[in-house]
Amino acid sequence: MTAMTVLPIPDETSAPFWEAAREGRFLIQRCPETGRHQWYPRAHSIHAPHAKPDWVETSGRGELLTYSVIHRGNTRGDPYTCALVRLEEGVTVFSRIEGVAEEDLRAGLPLSVAFHRVDETISLPVFRPPSDAGGSDA
Amino acid sequence: MKDLSGRTAIVGAFESPRRDAPRVHPFALQMECILGALDDAGLTLKDVDGLCAASGDWAEGGGTMDVIELAEYIGIQPTYVNSTDVGGCSYILQAGQAAAAIAMGLAEVVVISYAACPRWWPLNTPSFDPFVFPAGPGQYEIPYAPTLISTYGLFARRHMDLYGTTPEQLAQVAVTFREHAAANPQARLRKPITVDDVLASPMIASPLHRLDCCVVTDGGGAVVMTSRERARDLKRRPVHLAGYGAAVARTQNSQIPDDLSTPAALSGPRAFAMAGVTPADIDVAQIYDAFTITPMLALEDLGFCGRGESGAFVADGNLSAKGGSLPTNTDGGGLSSNHPGKRGIFTLIESVRQLRGEGPGMQVPDAKVALAHGLGGTFCSAATVILTV
Repeated sequence: MTAMTVLPIPDETSAPFWEAAREGRFLIQRCPETGRHQWYPRAHSIHAPHAKPDWVETSGRGELLTYSVIHRGNTRGDPYTCALVRLEEGVTVFSRIEGVAEEDLRAGLPLSVAFHRVDETISLPVFRPPSDAGGSDA
Repeated sequence: MKDLSGRTAIVGAFESPRRDAPRVHPFALQMECILGALDDAGLTLKDVDGLCAASGDWAEGGGTMDVIELAEYIGIQPTYVNSTDVGGCSYILQAGQAAAAIAMGLAEVVVISYAACPRWWPLNTPSFDPFVFPAGPGQYEIPYAPTLISTYGLFARRHMDLYGTTPEQLAQVAVTFREHAAANPQARLRKPITVDDVLASPMIASPLHRLDCCVVTDGGGAVVMTSRERARDLKRRPVHLAGYGAAVARTQNSQIPDDLSTPAALSGPRAFAMAGVTPADIDVAQIYDAFTITPMLALEDLGFCGRGESGAFVADGNLSAKGGSLPTNTDGGGLSSNHPGKRGIFTLIESVRQLRGEGPGMQVPDAKVALAHGLGGTFCSAATVILTV
């Protein structure tokens, strides 16, 4: 993956997320009291601050909300696309878009999660068109 | 909160004419600016009992306890300090908090100061700010290598999709502020540009081109504040702080609101309410312009136009100092004049100059009510001040 500069530093809260990512599953959190989802993962529910959120598996499907193709400023290689993706479960995540030409990027584009295995601990989720999702190397 | 309105004043202001300061430590540049602002006020370092700074970021020279380092370097022992760092608008926030401190008697003469030297700063020092640190909330975003500009790109692209805003409308912001800079001998870039020039400049992070982005300068500035009573006896016409508001919202891109509202929607109304004025009363505005999309969202949140209407608002020439309804960034702003990294101090300084009738670029005739507004990070924070003479 182009210009990936640093690896995430997992912690106690995020360990289940990265564990699932290694198995090709994208987890988000759900409030046990209100049933509402939250992203990013926290040790508490932002909907009921004394409650500890549950982990739930997403469909891994969503659509493109907005994006920026980075041509200059941080890349030693080819341009790459950072984006906000709205998951079917209603949360918005920040990620990379792969497998879509710049001129084909548009809001509402259907996307599916895929995973890049970086090392034994980290498999990093990215998003691709659903037909292309088999390109995952997780 | 209304009780704070008009009780303090900016009595001195100074912007360094430097735009390149090779091998000048940012603290040395801050000292030039502090002395410049005190000279302007007719005060000396001995009069200063309060110091506000936010000098701990890259190319600013300080660390975690930057305000102590700066006080030591200057050679003073202030009894009121504030080093709240909420990004580029920190100095606007600090002006409001200094006003409260002065009004309550915690301080009498407060200096608010800033300088940075990104053009020569050689150190790639470790940073723990949320835009680079891949732990905690950042572990889900930083590995994808977003840039500061690409996050503004996310806002700009969505604004286009939601509201039909065009690249030409974005470009008009840069064109207008360059026209103002052309009149300012100190501005970094003064050669007039066209919308086509902006669109033909290299794409940095779509949809933002190079000319949608601010200049990168070494620079600094400072202002001096005191009580309304003491201001009466000083040499310059006092510029009163009539209104103030600030708010913080988010750091992570995943938390960007769907409608692109920013914390300016909280800071603006608070400032207007304290001052007892409305957007229609503003004679001249200085609105943080790191990128062309930056002042556009502020115009919507502050109520100068409706949600989603900023594209048409800027394209209609409203920001022009040559007859626009809201002359904005009369010195050329960050897009053309001066942007070392956290340019909020310059929105205060240019507001003061406009209210004194001594703007170095385009001067708005007989300006009585000025707005200085800034954001921090990527619309993460906002601070608004309304100044009057």
